[in-house]
Amino acid sequence: MRRSGRAIRWSSVCLAMGLLVAAAASPAQAQGSTDPNPGNVKLTAGFDFANAYFFRGIPQDDTGVIMWPSGDLRFALFSGDGALKSIGVNIGTWNSLHTGRAGSDGPSGKLWYESDFYTGASLGFGKGTTVGVTYTAYTSPNGLFGTVKELSFKVAVDDSGFLGAFAVKPYMVLARELDGQADGGANEGTYLEIGVGPGHSLSRVSLAVPVKVGLSLSNYYEGAGGDDTFGFFSVAGVVTVPFTSAPTRVGSWNIHGGVEFLVLGDRNEAVFGDSSHVIGSFGIGLSY
Amino acid sequence: MLSMSGIRKNALALMTAVCTTLFLASTPAWAQDSAKPDPNPGALTITGSIDFLNQYMFRGIQQNNTGFATWPAFDLGLAAYSGDGGLKSVNINFGTWNSLHTGNTGQDGPSGKLWYESDFYATLGFGFGGGNSFSTTYTAYTSPNEGFTTVKEIMFKYALDDSGYLGKAAIKPYLAIAQEFDTGPGRGQADAGAHAGTYMEIGFAPGLAVPKASIAFPIKVGLSLSDYYENPLTGEDEKFGFFSIAGIVTVPLGGTTSFGSWNVHGGVEYQKLGTTTEIFNGGDSNQVIGSFGIGFSY
Repeated sequence: MRRSGRAIRWSSVCLAMGLLVAAAASPAQAQGSTDPNPGNVKLTAGFDFANAYFFRGIPQDDTGVIMWPSGDLRFALFSGDGALKSIGVNIGTWNSLHTGRAGSDGPSGKLWYESDFYTGASLGFGKGTTVGVTYTAYTSPNGLFGTVKELSFKVAVDDSGFLGAFAVKPYMVLARELDGQADGGANEGTYLEIGVGPGHSLSRVSLAVPVKVGLSLSNYYEGAGGDDTFGFFSVAGVVTVPFTSAPTRVGSWNIHGGVEFLVLGDRNEAVFGDSSHVIGSFGIGLSY
Repeated sequence: MLSMSGIRKNALALMTAVCTTLFLASTPAWAQDSAKPDPNPGALTITGSIDFLNQYMFRGIQQNNTGFATWPAFDLGLAAYSGDGGLKSVNINFGTWNSLHTGNTGQDGPSGKLWYESDFYATLGFGFGGGNSFSTTYTAYTSPNEGFTTVKEIMFKYALDDSGYLGKAAIKPYLAIAQEFDTGPGRGQADAGAHAGTYMEIGFAPGLAVPKASIAFPIKVGLSLSDYYENPLTGEDEKFGFFSIAGIVTVPLGGTTSFGSWNVHGGVEYQKLGTTTEIFNGGDSNQVIGSFGIGFSY
């Protein structure tokens, strides 16, 4: 029943936060003088463990252990001082391995619940504004959901330059399903996510508090009563500890962990059987 | 007979090695070291490729017979140690290799799904003096479209880079032995046979570099040491799996840039099949494979 969607991308949040914090924790002089990778190709990767997996509030699994290996390559195609500051292309994969009902203990007997492939481009403008577009194919190697193809657009503002330590880094994502559906419903849906990611860095540790809300603009959370506009609200606390204070020959590594509190909309509550859930996770991240 | 996996790891490793070696060999010195600094002096190396083929044979075992196959691959290498003693280097690699099929074992097959094979592997390699190297690789061959059951394998490989002795006449011989494990009758085996198999491959890869391109002539033979090529009709293990000879041309796309080193490559391979692999190949003991692709090393 609730195998009709996929994953929350919580690991992506953890990884991104972790990498940002790891980079932030490195002394500037160390970053400048010992950068092991001054070229235009950047690798980020992560391996996370979680006790539950919700994709944009849609329940996927809350049994057994859930693992999220991921990797991303970014090609920095352009950087300049004009109105357009940067152009980048990303390609990557995100995966979800389950020991519980959606994986090795489920009907398929197979661990590999989800494998996503994505590619996208982003443009960086002045005042910390970035605009990106991403194509994602969400697939299920163990066959528990049909492939979902999606095109998403994202606008984000890094307001650190204006607000310093009080920056909230707001963003908005608009995603349109092209083929297949996260909710297993009758029609392809359109999804809107609005979020902020305030945080605080100490000398060896950093804390991020991402807050987001997921909404259906059209048929994204289809249930017995029709389309439910409110999908979920989430607030989390993520602590990241870099392994080293500066990048090493093998890049910047960190460990991170967090707790997320999720409030579900009516459709997702009906599927899950509860209106809220707490998700714990921890993992390791790499930036090179 | 299609309940097994593909050529991949060896082919990928060979293709990657050949392309990388030949690319570096064929890149003019000025492009390698004069104006452009190394974009990646750290200890991690990223390689990737995507190839297109008319036919996918895994160690002589046919995997598709209609449509074409697409092979995206990615590898991350970690140079864990380098030194001047008897042990010259320790490397750790892990990566993924995939085969997407439009034909009878993919999109046009019973599953209707393109993604026939996805392999994960991890390798620990040791480099010694005199060009000797030894590595061990664990591979899980999986099939997202249920074309075959997951095959788990441990492989040991010895290779000699004899360039230091023979220069342009180097043949770079290697020997690999692979053992399947966690199997059952018809499950977890490349030949979908009754027993877990042990595979041996012997090969070498002479090559020739010219200013703007390079050519490699990899030759190899695949043998069953035990139950690797079980005859589907008699159950007998056939020792000879296949013999392969190929010609691969690699053309670098410029020199080393801030985006790494890129190349295009293409080739033709001829395979002579053994009794079991001939049956898997629809009664044809000969197979010609054409391929082309793009490679990347950073």
